Amino acid sequence: MNLKKIKKVTVFLLKKISISIIAILFLSVLVFFMSRLAPGDPLVSYYGDRAERLSPEEKEHALERLGLNEAIPNQYIRWVNNAVHGDFGISYKYKQDVLEVIEGRLINTLILGGIGFLLTFLFALLLGIFCAFREESLLDHIICNVGTVTSCIPEFYFSLILILVFSVNLKLLPSSGAYALGQSGSIQSRLTHLVLPMIVVVLSHLWYYAYMIRNKLLEEIRQDYVLLAKSKGLSKKDIMYKHCVRNILPAFISIMAISLPHIVEGTYIVEMVFSYPGIGTLSFESAKYHDYNMLMVLCLITGIIVIIGNNVGQAISEKIDPRMKTSEIVETTEVTKI
Amino acid sequence: MTQETELKTDKEFKLVGLNYRNPVTFEHKKRSIWRERPVASLCLLAVIVLLCVFCNLIMNHEPTYMDLSNCNVAPNKAFFFGTDTMGRDIFSMIWYGGRISLFIGVVATLISTTIAIVYGSISGMAPMVIDDAMMRFTEIMLSIPTLLVIIFVQAIVGKQNVVVISIVIGITSWMSIAKVVRTEVRQIRKSEYVIASRCMGASFFHVLTEHLTPNFVSSIMFMVVMNIRGAITAESTLSFLGIGLPIEVISWGSMLSLSEKALMTNSWWIILIPGVFLVTTLMCITNIGNYIRREVNLSESNI
Repeated sequence: MNLKKIKKVTVFLLKKISISIIAILFLSVLVFFMSRLAPGDPLVSYYGDRAERLSPEEKEHALERLGLNEAIPNQYIRWVNNAVHGDFGISYKYKQDVLEVIEGRLINTLILGGIGFLLTFLFALLLGIFCAFREESLLDHIICNVGTVTSCIPEFYFSLILILVFSVNLKLLPSSGAYALGQSGSIQSRLTHLVLPMIVVVLSHLWYYAYMIRNKLLEEIRQDYVLLAKSKGLSKKDIMYKHCVRNILPAFISIMAISLPHIVEGTYIVEMVFSYPGIGTLSFESAKYHDYNMLMVLCLITGIIVIIGNNVGQAISEKIDPRMKTSEIVETTEVTKI
Repeated sequence: MTQETELKTDKEFKLVGLNYRNPVTFEHKKRSIWRERPVASLCLLAVIVLLCVFCNLIMNHEPTYMDLSNCNVAPNKAFFFGTDTMGRDIFSMIWYGGRISLFIGVVATLISTTIAIVYGSISGMAPMVIDDAMMRFTEIMLSIPTLLVIIFVQAIVGKQNVVVISIVIGITSWMSIAKVVRTEVRQIRKSEYVIASRCMGASFFHVLTEHLTPNFVSSIMFMVVMNIRGAITAESTLSFLGIGLPIEVISWGSMLSLSEKALMTNSWWIILIPGVFLVTTLMCITNIGNYIRREVNLSESNI
């Protein structure tokens, strides 16, 4: 019996892992071929203006040294071979190992995106419950309308307004970077630089998910068991927190999993506007300057975060509620989010 | 339709002298026009669209003309919304640029919807293996942040003009509609009328346009409307970041790309005014989309 269960779990895990690996491989092929077929000269990003003054022989030599003169499929095979051994090549722009460049910035993005992600869903849950308690009341209407407005504002515009108000006019908070010059270790400096981007990341996504949770809760409190609990004499709060909220948790977790690409995207845009040294700004730069090796790794990191997030979310919600068909929820939420 | 046939049968019964049917009355719930329907949003959107289309009538300056003696002027009587850092009149630019923003929204949505309908229908009609592969592909595409894909395709295409941007946004935003189309097609592909039509030798596109599309049009309508919103947002974000439309091509997004200079001089009108129009338009579209979603859900739950 026990052995059977272990076998079942391992098969399940293997299936999930193999699907993820195939997805990541596919992603890498896609990115690799698309970036190599793109017009634009990577030599320009490597040599800067000097690239135009190189003689044909020198150019040939440079291409050979960077491994850009082979056929594209061969380049891809060599890239995979090196990547498996932990060598992702050098960034053409920074002339450094790609991983070294990313290392310092990944943490910045994880701080902004990760904390933003958690805060978004914490507040979304609280706001959803708050509104579900006061369904159709004046306060609920006000929150719904304000929420719709905030969710309509594009992230970059929201950031601009915040910069205009808080940095330019009130001069309270810094408008760009992750820390003041020469104060990379100071926590206070980092925190003050984090406030505005964090507000944008949280507020621009908050209402969308809070509304989803509110609607799920409203569906839930119309179920029969709520009536039973009420007739047993349970208080409103008890019914809500001990029954209803628990019952929507699986849906909540799959919403969290599906929302990952959106929040990652939002974080990237916010990073670019605030010129926050993270992965978003880096991927924007590398796409602009044809920094292939860098772009590959960044796309893979983004893809891996999203794919792993999706699978973990699916696994958890299946564990909580085995009846749940995650695909069903994926579709219903996809309908509402573009 | 059903009411008509009922009346007809009633008459026939009366003819034979069998007036057996009691009149059935059911009260329609009175719905307030103002609360349920997005009248305000529709009117506002119509006004914005009309003013943008007929912008020649209301523009009081040439939108592309750079009046260097009047750079960065705050709103006044001559320049209703002020001028930007390059001396162009913002009031005229709003209407002139709105045309391009709305055009990109509509064209990109047309492209993505067409791709989604064709892809989704093929996937829905195809055998299990191909269907699975096609759906995995959309899932992978969905898992990459759209902005990265757009930056990417944009880098490949290289050119920056209105048509290219619409196409790029169009081919990167069809995935979620395709999924819904595919689910709907899966449900109706085994219906008798589809099978009959195929037996009579109908081509795939005939089945698609005559039998499949009318069935799923209502369920993707909401997403199509929201896709317009997504496309307008994407265009403005791209133009703002400097990888969309260049500054010379006026759109609401490219007007905002001057905001960095505007922040230095603290000229709020350059940042606030185009954005207000952008957000208002997006909100109207969202309200209309939500209304469509409510209506579709309503009719489904009543069946």
